[in-house]
Amino acid sequence: MESISRISSLLETARDLTLEAARDASAAKKGTARPIPAQKLKALLDSRLERDVLEGLRRLVALTYTSQSISPYFTHALKTLSLPFPTVRKLVAHILIQLAPSHPDTALLAINTLQKSLSDSAPPLRSLALRTMSSIRVPAISQIVLLAIKRGVQDMSPYVRRAAALAIPKAYRLDPALEPELVEGLVRLLGDKQYFVAGAAVQAYAECWADRIDLLHPYYRKLVRQMVDMDEWGQLAFLKVMLGYCRRCFPRRTKRIRKGGAEKKGKGKDPDSFYDDEETREDQDEGDGGEGDFEEAIILDPDLDLLLRAAQPLLHNRSSAVIIAVTSCFLYLGTPTYLELAVGPLIALLRSPQDIQLVALHNIVQVCLIYPKPFVQYASHFLIRLSEPPAIRRSKLELLTLIFPHAPPHIAGLILAELAHFSASQDPTLVQEAVRAIGRCAQTSDEPTSRRCLHLLLDRVSSPDPLVVAESLQVVRQLIQRDPLSHTHTVVRLAKNLDSITNPQARASIIWLVGEFAAPEAEDGMAPDVLRILVRNFADESEQAKRQIVLLAAKVYLHYLNVQNATQKSARETEEDLNGSQKDEAADSDMETRSPPNIPIDESHPIVLLWQYVQLLARYDTSYDLRDRLRVYKSLLAIPTSTDLASLLLLAPKPVPQIPSPSESRRGYAIGSASLVVGDEVAAGGFRGYEPLPEWVREGEQPIATVRGEGGAGRYEVKKEVPASERLDRALEEERGTGRANGWREKTLDDWLAEDEEEEDEESDGSEETEEESSEEETEEESEEDEEDEGTDDESAALRPSA
Amino acid sequence: MGTIDVVYIFDEHNTLLLSHHYHGSPPSAKVLLNTYLSHSSPRPSVLYVPSTHPPCILCSMVQDRLLFLTPLSHDMDPLIALEFLHRVADALEEFLGSPLLASRIETQYDVVAQLLGEMCDAGIMSVTEPNALRDLVDVGVGLMGKFLGGVGLPRYIPSSLEPQNNLSKMGLLTLFEFSASPSLSSAPGSSLSFKPPGSDTNQLAIPWRRANVRHTSNELYVDIVESVTAILAPSGRPLAARAHGTIVFTAKVSGVPDLILQLTTPGGRMNVAHTMQLPVFHPCVRLARWKEHPGELSFVPPDGRFVLAGYEVDLLGADYLTRAMHDPNYRSDLHLPVSIELNKSLGPDALDFEVKMSLDLSFVKVSSSSSTGLGAGLGRAKSAGLRPSTATSGTSAQPTLEEIVVSVPIPSGVRNFSEMKASRGEATYAPGDGTLEWRIYGKEASMLMNGVHSVSGGVVATLRCSVVGQPNVGEVEEPFAPPKEKWDYDEGGDDAYQAEAGSGKSTGKKSPSDEKLSRIAAKNAELMPSSASVSFQVKGWLPSGIKVEKLAIDMPKSKGIGAGVQPYKGVKYLAVSKGGVEIRC
Repeated sequence: MESISRISSLLETARDLTLEAARDASAAKKGTARPIPAQKLKALLDSRLERDVLEGLRRLVALTYTSQSISPYFTHALKTLSLPFPTVRKLVAHILIQLAPSHPDTALLAINTLQKSLSDSAPPLRSLALRTMSSIRVPAISQIVLLAIKRGVQDMSPYVRRAAALAIPKAYRLDPALEPELVEGLVRLLGDKQYFVAGAAVQAYAECWADRIDLLHPYYRKLVRQMVDMDEWGQLAFLKVMLGYCRRCFPRRTKRIRKGGAEKKGKGKDPDSFYDDEETREDQDEGDGGEGDFEEAIILDPDLDLLLRAAQPLLHNRSSAVIIAVTSCFLYLGTPTYLELAVGPLIALLRSPQDIQLVALHNIVQVCLIYPKPFVQYASHFLIRLSEPPAIRRSKLELLTLIFPHAPPHIAGLILAELAHFSASQDPTLVQEAVRAIGRCAQTSDEPTSRRCLHLLLDRVSSPDPLVVAESLQVVRQLIQRDPLSHTHTVVRLAKNLDSITNPQARASIIWLVGEFAAPEAEDGMAPDVLRILVRNFADESEQAKRQIVLLAAKVYLHYLNVQNATQKSARETEEDLNGSQKDEAADSDMETRSPPNIPIDESHPIVLLWQYVQLLARYDTSYDLRDRLRVYKSLLAIPTSTDLASLLLLAPKPVPQIPSPSESRRGYAIGSASLVVGDEVAAGGFRGYEPLPEWVREGEQPIATVRGEGGAGRYEVKKEVPASERLDRALEEERGTGRANGWREKTLDDWLAEDEEEEDEESDGSEETEEESSEEETEEESEEDEEDEGTDDESAALRPSA
Repeated sequence: MGTIDVVYIFDEHNTLLLSHHYHGSPPSAKVLLNTYLSHSSPRPSVLYVPSTHPPCILCSMVQDRLLFLTPLSHDMDPLIALEFLHRVADALEEFLGSPLLASRIETQYDVVAQLLGEMCDAGIMSVTEPNALRDLVDVGVGLMGKFLGGVGLPRYIPSSLEPQNNLSKMGLLTLFEFSASPSLSSAPGSSLSFKPPGSDTNQLAIPWRRANVRHTSNELYVDIVESVTAILAPSGRPLAARAHGTIVFTAKVSGVPDLILQLTTPGGRMNVAHTMQLPVFHPCVRLARWKEHPGELSFVPPDGRFVLAGYEVDLLGADYLTRAMHDPNYRSDLHLPVSIELNKSLGPDALDFEVKMSLDLSFVKVSSSSSTGLGAGLGRAKSAGLRPSTATSGTSAQPTLEEIVVSVPIPSGVRNFSEMKASRGEATYAPGDGTLEWRIYGKEASMLMNGVHSVSGGVVATLRCSVVGQPNVGEVEEPFAPPKEKWDYDEGGDDAYQAEAGSGKSTGKKSPSDEKLSRIAAKNAELMPSSASVSFQVKGWLPSGIKVEKLAIDMPKSKGIGAGVQPYKGVKYLAVSKGGVEIRC
């Protein structure tokens, strides 16, 4: 969404004029902020009048920003804290926070006053005091800060609790030894009923203990429900945390379903899901039948599904970062069905200001590399505007090529027309990128379309712009190399262009292509003829082209020799067969390798003559490089019957070039990371602090589902109506379950102990989470069922006979 | 999630205006600025800076010519940092006034310090909602207050010492004062709040609305701005045309009003969901309501001005591309008030180009007068006190076209123009600037408009230019004439492009003079512009045809508004194109 300030600039037409006018006016106004002598400033600060003190502090703040030293006034400023004017405190807080690291001793003077205002009756002042105190980075006061946080955590006002949540990471940075106590406070705040507080707690959690997923278990569902109400920063932190949490807690389960059948999702709502699970297991037990009409579908854990469904409304959020975060959750946690929901909002990011657009495009490309299909309908959003900066154009071109193979004919036509238009543009980099994009389109699409792309490129070959020609030929060469057999005519057509193309590089490129793909036909092919014509103007060619002509001549001659040798050999073999001579194998091979040069080659054959002529031409050329090359070829081809080495060097099969999409190199980076945007510039492994996505936890290694309790009734708790009969059935089932010995499938003693400890912790926290104990005794199957209807958890617990 | 270490703000001369340090030891402003400036404009918003120790990633944003920089020391989503910078800019503008000026920041460092301190706490983003900040930040009293009052900003007098206990009581009190003596407070539009947030309650009210809003004159304004972006093929056919809409809402209503804004389109109310694509909303909008009744926005607004929603409209229709592919003569129903045509390679040396402009506002009027939505809207509006907020010009009954700018990017090969003739307006080009601007100001535009009515949509203005290329360009001869010999390897035209090649041959046979001319033209083609873009502004018209049908206060749900209070309501429509309409050639 456009920011308000940008829109208001549209609404106010006379804005530019205002800018000028205001600048003139500002010159006059600056007089009021003229620096005053130090003595007078101190006097202002020492005054007992609110107005004077404020004025003094204001000047001090201005001084901190204009990076002048204000340390002489620091004590004076701190003294004003004791004045009964709350307005003063915010300014002093700023000065204190900015100066404390450099003047720890002086900063300590303020502690007393701050401690006093921690028990002020006004919550804003309490939270301000807490915020300020925790911002003083002096290790000596860590215990005092800890006390303040502990008090803040239990404060009645959500503002203070929020300040406490934000103070926790600061205290942790100050003194990591405080961890146990801080974690205790944080856990309590995570369970706070106010989304306002819980959001900040999640931010603190994400900052310091993002790997301790055990802290989150009890509040998982509660936080998921609160997410929609948190502010955007809380949402961002929560989604980021969830990415790691869910991959560690919910193993990827798949199920084979019939192709074309509607994918099952939203299992939490499905009354039959209990049985579905069993079916799944059966399906998996069946092993891989390998039938064609089955496909793998992802089954979402009900808790995971809860998160994904809760994230859906966030797609209408105005913050681009939130939309990317939701997308990454859908991409890395959810199913393609979910991801499709995010595609529209991603496209909507292209309306944002250019700075955000650029980053958004990088993320869109990344999603598009994995799921190109849903983006096809938005193809017209990716059309390029010449007014856009190059980085944006590059990403858009890439998107066009990515969706190209999936586009219906009319969109494919539009994309090709677009690329063709820009391949003839004046901007060299744009031309280069457009031509390469056409190449990528040709590479990924089917035969007729690919031919169309090639046709487009071949049209460009005769363009007057040398750059276009060179770039197109480069791509054409790559395309031909991928499939030389079907492109023999293309080479012929390119060869025909030799009489009109003047660009040396382009000529060299074409000659190389002829030598590579047309020469094998030896005498019947056109390569010797092309050579014949080229040789006539050899002296006028550029050096680049000359080199390729010499190479072409060598190749043509070599092919000729190979053919000659083969026919002679076969002739000899038939001869030998006819003679019926019984020579042993060794002698036979000996003969082959030695190949006595007793059979003279036909000196009058045109190809031999051509080769000799080229030798002469190049030998007297001015370029020593060319002469050197010729000498190499000459000695390689010196003995007409021994061509093995020459064939190895000159006719070696060339590796097929791949034209990867430019962003393939950053494919490994997760969306929503800075490494993705800066890409290749940073070393492998991403920018400092980049963490790759955790692997999915393996089946059976995940924490059991029951650790995720309700964690305090959320605001949006939905009680589900459950028929009494069903409830009774379930209660009976549970009874059976508890009766069964060793209901837990994979659970070691250590696990048990760990669980108990955790529970004790939580109990001592005074959290409302107590029904866990009883639910622990259920079997896993039953617990899964319980998650599916969270609302019935309590009822079933109540109905169950006490264990 | 990552932290914001520091925020640097530079003024338009790239001198450091302020640096607010949050956390860690970030690289200095000087180093970052140098790296930033070393990249050529337009500079990417996210840059990798290897020269600092340790290397960092620099996020940058420019707003009102001020440059905002923040370095990232660890990997995090750069969008978070960029969004934060945008929020900072928005908050500064909200508190210091728009536009954001270096001098305004300089004179109110104390407000800026409080704002930046509240928005980010030791690197963790905190309160960024302008209304919540209003509650937390003291805009100066005393000298500063006087200064602010003079500038015309809402004055805000906090006095947190005042004991207040009950929200509803407070509301009543406000109400009583309001109805009893409306002339009590000073200027209209100023708001006074006597209570800091949360001083009496441990429950939060609404996070985006500040507590205890009180206004003497209750006003509601809706501004719908649609910015048009279109790409036209050389043939003049549109390839893509969209309008990016933004609904800006200004609420100056006491208490906690619950509002309903009903939008409609020419296709009727049911069509709204189809027309307004990919909407995004301010957190205050009730999404469920929108999904149930598209076009109905139900919300409790923040106090003051904010962006309520954003959306986009495809002006061509969903199936335009398919239809255009099948039927080359298919005309879209895209109407742009200004359309231009670019003809290049004219004149004896093919060094001239010509831009023709035609104006057409007829459809604007036709559509608005025939639209029942507007008629009904206006009718109801009159009874409810809904009047267009711009009384003088640009009403929806009489839309006006303002300031047309055609900008033509000029290739780098062009040295200067030997001739620039504009039949209307003025054309300017500074060598090295890279774009030719042809500007027609509002007055002239309206004169042209009047002319249009008689001619009915013909060409109203032309601009003809002759370019001067590099001096040596003309003399350079072909360095190497290729052999004229032709040969033929065609083995039957089984390939499509083989056949094409054959047909291409016939065009090659031209008379020598023709050939020379076309060669010159080809050479000078490099000097011809390849696109042009148009900027314009139409007041009182929206390309999408979206109208505000109803704006009402849901009285039963609202709190703190007097029974008889009827706020003044205003609606404004604006269509703009900031170089958004691009014509290729």
